[in-house]
Amino acid sequence: MSTSDPLICLPGQRLCLSDKTYTSGQGTYERQGYIYSQLAGYVDIVDKDSVKVVEVHTSGEKTVIPAQGDIVTAKVSVITQQYAKCFITSVGDTVLRRPFRAVLRTEDIRATEKDKVEVYKSVRPGDIILARVLPITEAHNYQLSTAENELGVVIAHSEHGHPMVPISWTEMQCTKTFVKEPRKVAKVVPEHFNQDNLAA
Amino acid sequence: MAEQYKSLHPIKYYRDYLAHGIRPDGREFNKFRPILLNVGSIDTADGSAIAKVGNTTVVCGIKAELCKPKPDAPKCGFLVPNLELPPLCSPKFRPGPPSDQAQVLTQLIADIIENSKCIDLNDLCIFQDKLVWCLFVDFVCLDFDGSVVDACIVSLLGALKTAKLPFVEYDPALDNIQVNMEERKHIKVHSTPVSTTFAVFDDKVILKDPTQEEENLCSGILTVVFKDDELCCVHKPGGSPLTQEELSQCIEESKERTLFIKRLIDTAV
Amino acid sequence: MPVDHKRINGPDETYPYSLYAKTNKQSLNEKHEDIKRTGQRSDSRTFLEHRKIFIKTGVVSQAKGSAYIELENTKVIVSVFDPREIPNRPDYSLKGEIYCEFKYAPFSCNKRRLHIQDTEEKQYSAIMKQALESTVCSHEFPNFQVDIYAMVLHNDGSCLSAAITAAGLALAHAGVPMYDIITSVSLGIQQDNLFIDPTNEEQSICLYPRTLDTDHGNVIISKLHMHNQISQFYQSGNISLEKINEAIGILDKTCEELVPVIQKYLVKHVIRNLKDREAK
Repeated sequence: MSTSDPLICLPGQRLCLSDKTYTSGQGTYERQGYIYSQLAGYVDIVDKDSVKVVEVHTSGEKTVIPAQGDIVTAKVSVITQQYAKCFITSVGDTVLRRPFRAVLRTEDIRATEKDKVEVYKSVRPGDIILARVLPITEAHNYQLSTAENELGVVIAHSEHGHPMVPISWTEMQCTKTFVKEPRKVAKVVPEHFNQDNLAA
Repeated sequence: MAEQYKSLHPIKYYRDYLAHGIRPDGREFNKFRPILLNVGSIDTADGSAIAKVGNTTVVCGIKAELCKPKPDAPKCGFLVPNLELPPLCSPKFRPGPPSDQAQVLTQLIADIIENSKCIDLNDLCIFQDKLVWCLFVDFVCLDFDGSVVDACIVSLLGALKTAKLPFVEYDPALDNIQVNMEERKHIKVHSTPVSTTFAVFDDKVILKDPTQEEENLCSGILTVVFKDDELCCVHKPGGSPLTQEELSQCIEESKERTLFIKRLIDTAV
Repeated sequence: MPVDHKRINGPDETYPYSLYAKTNKQSLNEKHEDIKRTGQRSDSRTFLEHRKIFIKTGVVSQAKGSAYIELENTKVIVSVFDPREIPNRPDYSLKGEIYCEFKYAPFSCNKRRLHIQDTEEKQYSAIMKQALESTVCSHEFPNFQVDIYAMVLHNDGSCLSAAITAAGLALAHAGVPMYDIITSVSLGIQQDNLFIDPTNEEQSICLYPRTLDTDHGNVIISKLHMHNQISQFYQSGNISLEKINEAIGILDKTCEELVPVIQKYLVKHVIRNLKDREAK
């Protein structure tokens, strides 16, 4: 879409027929064979396997809530032997205005050797983690998982309050005191990773 | 990216800004936000004013009613200030009874009004021991973005100075009250208190007229109220200690601002 | 009544001074007679004319979405917040909820309002919720609640309909998924006179029957524009079936008249936002 000449739409505006070529996507709904907009924003048509998905994006801040499968940034607040309580602060790139409560259970921390995982050796209160949202089973409680290489602790501070840098999958080191602490470290991949980066 | 950083490490985010001598909203440490005052826009109230300090918005409305004075103060009227922080003004507040913050601020405003003696309660007497005015001064915060007391006091003066009370005739023999709605008189406002809020960040940097974010992150808040040339209230509820020089500096600076605010109120009224 | 320890209370008994007003004010019946005779409303509108409407969004910086609406003297502000967990609900629900709160500011009416929500405000909150529920796509935020707060700063009649229209605008401003644009209009009826968008005085004229069994009352409807559906209907008083049919027709038309104002504003808002974003 060119931002210079966007197609503006309002909630309830009929956008087009819903048929084989056009289907309803984000920010739209379908009713009696037509696609309508849900938001005040602009129309975006995405080609997806010969089907055109009609999407509407708001011009302002999005209203998002974490959903199953989303990658979220969370801050650890409390740890126990069974789980770590966290607050989700952003979903993907969107920063939430209000944090959501979530739980990271022992068995969801690592993909392998699940029974040997100990919470305090993986995350500590104050750590910032990347995690994936698991299917929602209970009200008010998002369950998170860090059982992927790219997920886990990204920012942490040592017991003395200094920032730490990762030195392996399972350890981080304090930049000041050089004390090593155990963590479930995330392998952070640059966001726009492609072949050019590799070559350089 | 900046937004993510801010949500994860708000204090660090501020420190980075402050290290460069500027605040995230583009102000320098000692700059105030623009102030707006609009008076008399609500005519169901006997006096009203809307004050805006940056984003912070407070509406003040005065409703006058008649009542009997207390036996121990037969010539004194009543002035009942209440600040409401409805859930509308910030996600921090929930529906229900007033939050602790609302109660604390209401009391602070009541103290400021009493200390500054801007209203002489004897002026509100209609007939000794029988009939006095009761002024209900209600503040409603519409947008909670820091330094609410400053906005309240500005709107209070705007409302008080434009409030007009009808003329009341009281016949003690018959206990008969007659109100002449046409003939209205201003209330005497004896002084102009002006409040200035400061925030102490990391025990060392002093920020004037803090926003809501700054108030949340700072280690202490100081409110100084000047009445013309006199200091009439200093409110510092705990927080990080200030040296004597810093305190005097703050007081000096709020004194300078008094004149400006006074002129603003006079222009609006 | 128990003492409210969380606020500063005034003396026990106070009376509004207008009770003792010297000048004999016209009674409501006389006022109605005047209107009937002259065929003119006190603000020289025609009977089916809506007041001029002024709207603005983004008035509350702390809220996700907000709107301010002014119908001459009626001033209402509405703010909408991000979805949050529904308090005190242990089970999981597939649909989200909305929570509405309607409140008069203490100084907004002729008589001083108390801080605690009274029954009228509670009722209005419920009507607001009813009206808005059918326009919000609640399946988009399962198990969460969107808070909508309305505050009347100045009451000169038709507050509830103004609040509903403004709430629709605030929801759109907040980017909450909606099925449609919602507009709401009030109407007062006293005998043969219909007052669209009544002022406070006209509302009180319509409140009581002048003689036994005559038509009187207030009607409020909210309408979803595109789907041509009425999402909420509220009527008080005693109105004959024919009259109510006529009233609904008129209200429906007036609701439509408000839509372009809202649409124009929203389009402008989107364009402004996109320009801002490009500038960044």
